[in-house]
Amino acid sequence: MLSFTLKRLLSGVILLFAVATGTFFLAHAAIPDPTLGLLGSAATPEAQAALAQKIGTDRPVLVQYGEWILRLLQGDFGESWRNFQPVSAQIATKLPVTLSVVTVAILLSAVLGGVLGVLAGLRPNTWIDRLVKAGAVILFALPGFWVALVLVMLFAVQLKWFPAVGYTPPAQSVGGWIQSITLPAIALALGAIVMIAEQLRNAIIQADRQDYVRTLRSRGLPPWRIVAHLLRNAAPASLTVLALMFVGLLSGAIVVEQIFALPGIGALTQGSSQNGDIPMLLGITVITVVFVVIVNFLLDILLGWINPKARVQ
Amino acid sequence: MMKHTLTGLAAVAAAALALTACSAGGSAGGGDAPEGNVPLNIGNFLDVTSWDPALADIGFDGPYLSAVYDPLVVVDGDGVPQPALATAWEVSDDFTTITMDLRTDAVFSNGEAFDAAAAVQSLDYLKAGVRSQEAYQKVESFEAVDEDTIAIHLTERDDTILYFMGLGRSYMMAPAAIADGSLATAPVGSGPYTLGDATVPGAEYHFDKVADHWDAAAFPFDPLVVSPLSDPTAMLNGMEGGQFNVIYGDQTAIDMAADSGWNVSSGLAAWVGLQFTDRAGATEMGTPLGDVRVRQALNHAFNGPEMLQAIGQDNGAATNQVFPADTTGNLPELNDLFAPDIETAKQMLADAGYPDGFAVKMPMAPPFQPYQASVEQVFDELGITVTWDEYQFMDYMANAPTYPMFVGVISMDGNAVATVERQIAKPQWYNPTTGLDSFPEIQAQTDKVFAADPGDAQTQEIETLNEMITNEAWFDVWYQSNNSYVSTAEFTVTPVIGMMFPTLRHINLAG
Repeated sequence: MLSFTLKRLLSGVILLFAVATGTFFLAHAAIPDPTLGLLGSAATPEAQAALAQKIGTDRPVLVQYGEWILRLLQGDFGESWRNFQPVSAQIATKLPVTLSVVTVAILLSAVLGGVLGVLAGLRPNTWIDRLVKAGAVILFALPGFWVALVLVMLFAVQLKWFPAVGYTPPAQSVGGWIQSITLPAIALALGAIVMIAEQLRNAIIQADRQDYVRTLRSRGLPPWRIVAHLLRNAAPASLTVLALMFVGLLSGAIVVEQIFALPGIGALTQGSSQNGDIPMLLGITVITVVFVVIVNFLLDILLGWINPKARVQ
Repeated sequence: MMKHTLTGLAAVAAAALALTACSAGGSAGGGDAPEGNVPLNIGNFLDVTSWDPALADIGFDGPYLSAVYDPLVVVDGDGVPQPALATAWEVSDDFTTITMDLRTDAVFSNGEAFDAAAAVQSLDYLKAGVRSQEAYQKVESFEAVDEDTIAIHLTERDDTILYFMGLGRSYMMAPAAIADGSLATAPVGSGPYTLGDATVPGAEYHFDKVADHWDAAAFPFDPLVVSPLSDPTAMLNGMEGGQFNVIYGDQTAIDMAADSGWNVSSGLAAWVGLQFTDRAGATEMGTPLGDVRVRQALNHAFNGPEMLQAIGQDNGAATNQVFPADTTGNLPELNDLFAPDIETAKQMLADAGYPDGFAVKMPMAPPFQPYQASVEQVFDELGITVTWDEYQFMDYMANAPTYPMFVGVISMDGNAVATVERQIAKPQWYNPTTGLDSFPEIQAQTDKVFAADPGDAQTQEIETLNEMITNEAWFDVWYQSNNSYVSTAEFTVTPVIGMMFPTLRHINLAG
């Protein structure tokens, strides 16, 4: 298990380095002169030259890369070119917003998707099964931003149960926090719920046909213990989907954050991209990759724990 | 200055094309404030760039910075500099020294008193600032003459310095805060509010009212919250949900205003059209545009008023000039100089030696796609073959000026001399080579503008210059577009050309 864990960690570090390097050069190629975006109409030749000197873009890209990667290895993401504040500090204020919405969405997806999936899988071709399948088709067909807008129009603008926009940190008000992330989390989770349910349903139906289940039934095991066995065999595929969804929801959060005006990583990414704030974009990319690596690492560990064969593979 | 132009360009995409002050106790936005305070929740388009005025942008930072800082000078709705911390000023006969009288009753939120020494320290800091330096290009030094008087010594005459200072480049900062470099995260000004503890960066900025502020009557807002929302739909949802009183309005919000009992204030912000970068025809690809008849033909070919209606949704002004409509320099009689007439355009192209048109490459980016079809249609009728080079928005600014012409949404100024500087005389990102050296008569007239005595004489020279560049088809302006602000019935907003969003001094109680 130790070797398995070390291999996974090493591959994560290599992936992080590769993505960080690729993103650095892609960003500099895509934004050849960031001073224009950073200065706007104040972008006179004099101001551009002064800013280029301040942010160091008047030097060769390779030199800039060398400095950036050395600082990164020391855990220093550098300063934003927009406001000259540490990138890490700004990401640290935005990340909890995105993570809270995504985490609640993932929990909703796992619990509701799991329950619906098990019920549909145990009773195929019944009304609950048809409901899950129909829900999957409909919710997949609907664009996420449209669902989010409908939620806002109905529950915020019309009924006024939730705020239409804005974010309240839990440290300020737990009730306010719950109110501010409920609609965004639901908007993010709806698609994921039916996807998890559909995945789990199929896996359970498949596992239910196995000989060992028939054997368990013939031994007279109570239904809940049979379900536990079924879940242990059906869960890996669903957990993989859930992990992939975490990554997908991180990017999906950009749209939801925009619609609900949440001050998360999505809004920061959009603003930094629009202004050409490359250090901020790189910092966000690195942090995102770190989360992707951590989630995949935890998934591998979990799958290895559930199914020892996975460790051997 | 529209956040400058960049944000102006962004506003095109995001907001469907989609902001006086006064001496003590005054209010430039219009309307007398009733007694008592009212809550004000503003939905701004962008997050505050920086709480450090030297690093802040003018565009959307207005409501944030004007809450915590007092400026020396502010501009009113007409772009005219008005007193704030500087109560009066005098320009020397040789136009190279500006002497300002300062208030003596302003106090910074850390307890330091505002005086001439503090003003000089702030101005030195702003002059060195990467972004704020734009206002102080011609400053030699700032001098504290006595406790309540400063002198600004210029290297040469600068008719725009007070205007740029008034747009948001003269916020005064506490000396101790400048010294310890903490302004970017902990603003310390003498403004009517302080940044409140309930602030959630990026989501909601709460401000605490300073009860004994020297101009407290001009700021009857309490509580005051400013929220950044880059999505127009989110802003409108917040307005409908009762979370906001004042928002940056897109066309949908404007359309809904009447039914909702909201007020709409609109002000010109940018001109829309073709920016010519090769008026001398110096490049092979730009050769046709070096012929004035070709540029004039293009002016005749596009129907600006129709484009304003169809694309701009009638939210702007139909004029063919870069000086904002109804302001100094703009001459209504020139608007018909190139009346829309495709046949005349064809004839002029033929006269210039291009009866079958010509081939041209132009840049394109998503925010400008609403205009692409019109350009293609008109060019097709003229026989002009256009090849589009697609760019991402960020690359557009860097690359567009390398083409002989490009579709532009260029920010405008409320000050005619500033317009001459930015649109004609000084290199800008959208006009890196002014081309004046190829047009000695226009160069000479530009020099006359900068040499003329301020007032009627200078206005006359500016109008003459505008006439010359319009005749020379220096630009192909289709129309000028508005920025709009939607407010609940209790508030009115005074738009300011050159600001994407007004400062608190431009938001007033209605009635």
